[in-house]
Amino acid sequence: MNKMILLIALPLLAAFLIPVVAKFSATVSRLLGPVVLAFVLVFVALQWNVVGRDSFAIFLGGFLPPVGIVFYVDHFSLMFSAIIAAMLLVVWPWGQYTAIRQQSLYMLLAASSFGLVLSSDLFNLYVFYELLAVATYGLVANQPHKAAPAAALRYLFVSCAGSVMLLIGIGIIYTITGTLNIAHLATMIGKLHGLAGLSAFILIVVGAGVKAEMFPVNSWVPEVYGTSSKSLSALLAGLISKLAVVLILRVLLMLFQVDVVLDLLLVVGILGVLSGEMVAWRAKDVTRMLSFSSIAQLGLVFVALSLSGTIGLWLAVGLMLHHLLVKGGLFLLADSMPGSFNSLKGLARRSPILGAIFLIFIFSLLGIPPFPGFWIKLMLVINLAQQDDVLYQIAIGVVLFATVIEASYLFKLVRIMYQKNDENIIKPPQTSTSGMNLLYAKFFALIVVVSMPFVSPISDRLKDMSRQSVNAENYIETIMSQPKLGGQS
Amino acid sequence: MTKYTSLLFIAGLSFLLFVIVGYLPIAENPMVAGKAILGSAQQEVGSANIVTSVVLAYRGLDTLGELSILFAAASVVGLLLGKSYSTDSVKTQKSGQAKEYKQFVVLKSLDLLFPMLLVVGMYIIVHGHLTPGGGFQGGVLLAVAFSMRSIVNPGSDKKNHYSITFIEGFAGFSFILIGVLALITDGNFLQPLLGKGEFGSLWSAGTLPLLYLAVGLKVGAELAGLLFELNGEEERV
Repeated sequence: MNKMILLIALPLLAAFLIPVVAKFSATVSRLLGPVVLAFVLVFVALQWNVVGRDSFAIFLGGFLPPVGIVFYVDHFSLMFSAIIAAMLLVVWPWGQYTAIRQQSLYMLLAASSFGLVLSSDLFNLYVFYELLAVATYGLVANQPHKAAPAAALRYLFVSCAGSVMLLIGIGIIYTITGTLNIAHLATMIGKLHGLAGLSAFILIVVGAGVKAEMFPVNSWVPEVYGTSSKSLSALLAGLISKLAVVLILRVLLMLFQVDVVLDLLLVVGILGVLSGEMVAWRAKDVTRMLSFSSIAQLGLVFVALSLSGTIGLWLAVGLMLHHLLVKGGLFLLADSMPGSFNSLKGLARRSPILGAIFLIFIFSLLGIPPFPGFWIKLMLVINLAQQDDVLYQIAIGVVLFATVIEASYLFKLVRIMYQKNDENIIKPPQTSTSGMNLLYAKFFALIVVVSMPFVSPISDRLKDMSRQSVNAENYIETIMSQPKLGGQS
Repeated sequence: MTKYTSLLFIAGLSFLLFVIVGYLPIAENPMVAGKAILGSAQQEVGSANIVTSVVLAYRGLDTLGELSILFAAASVVGLLLGKSYSTDSVKTQKSGQAKEYKQFVVLKSLDLLFPMLLVVGMYIIVHGHLTPGGGFQGGVLLAVAFSMRSIVNPGSDKKNHYSITFIEGFAGFSFILIGVLALITDGNFLQPLLGKGEFGSLWSAGTLPLLYLAVGLKVGAELAGLLFELNGEEERV
């Protein structure tokens, strides 16, 4: 059980050692990162049955809460750990061995991501969030694109402002309650529901919302995705944005299931969906279109979160997994579709497989019946319709309207791709990574297709996991009521 | 337009924070975790400096996180500066040598200062669990000791500072190794080992002084590497 900390310790160790090992043997240092990630995958798979129905907690340093740092392990965090490891393996910079420190940054990214899904301590979450942020600044700034440093600088400013707000929020909560442990906080929920506590939560949401591409604080998105390689965009849009949502999730589910907060999330989500889809409709190239559509999809996640309890978590996780798969796949696919829409004329006729994969992804993204995306959107709309509040009725309208806009711009692109070839079209240059990324995109599309008949069992499983994660009594009991540990006598 | 929106946003945020501060129970905080630590630190950890017991024992993982953030920042600087490493560094080297005669007094006093800074830095690191100070503060002094020459005379000693990369990696490795050792005996990550020793003596508080030594070396190597790098003296991988 205690070995779970290896998820953090090993990637950090690899990050520290990669520059040293590189002096002795280039091959070993290149393999260090992928080996650690593969080990984590196997390790998590082995832990899956150990967790069973009972989640467990690990107490770092052997100090019991509220003084020590606690990690909470359930199926939810294990699933996200496995996804993180797999996704990082997919976007691993295999070809770029000149910058060995970039691999260190990827390993730091891995360690902080595992920390974010496992930790149950507010300040510890902040530390990992900050580590994640610094590693991504470096990766974004180190892109070969001319405008990359400028994009990274804007990202840095917005993100730093967000981090400060997150820290202020955590500080306010600590001042009110005197503790940072989320389970301990959950036992004194009454203190948090005053004006100060709620504003602290709003600060946390806005702060973490920067990475989650939340509506008012997402101005960095198009620029960064425009200048980054498609693998990095797939990582940022697919995975990192979800991790920020996971940070918000823990705090929201355990501490702030209040109407005001839920309404706020709903409004932010609606605005995100609307603004994202509107701008995506006007986009002139694939990357921009995908960036704004990603903002809209994250808006949907926030709409789902505004439904309280198990249903909210279940829908949010479903939407996140679906978006990770589809948007990650689309960004990887976009590596083979550079340039503006006009240069894509007849692309699908030249390479039919690329066209087919693109169609699979956008059908699922839109929610066309047999694809998994349809069921998630359907469940979202059904559950929104069961709420009494007028705001939720508006949300249904917005979700459906957004789907129409989405269909309009996605099919516009499809029409361009299937147009007759003009002779004078110059085939845009392919990047060195596009072959590999096309392969991964095919794999992602395969997962989408294969998952179609299994939607029902998958969703039941997700619902079970959500029930386990939402269960506050279980959470508090697992963390707070432990017999005195061995410790040091 | 953007300017006014940002201004409005900042004004709104500061107003919000002012209002919240009015609501906070300042000076009568319910310091639940803080009081618990003050009550039990001496028995549980055994370091005379309670701040150290918080930094390395109760919240050791946060410290590891902070170290990693510093490492990430240094890596990013290395990554970005390494790209634009230009040929005009040869020129700065020449002018640096010419300047060396003019800075005779400064350079000689740096040589005098060097051992003292080393001693003070190491003292602060080694006594981190007894007196105020510790790995972070002592590490900064070490970094200054090694990079003084380069600060006074940028570009003067051009060489591949491989030892810095090595110390950096080795210190990080030892910190995590000490943390993982506890796992073997079914303990928890970063659990203090080796017994508490006599309270207030140099050999006390178990593995905490070793951890602080690793922190000090890592911080020192990291900062020194950064300074060399910013002075254009190091070509990192």
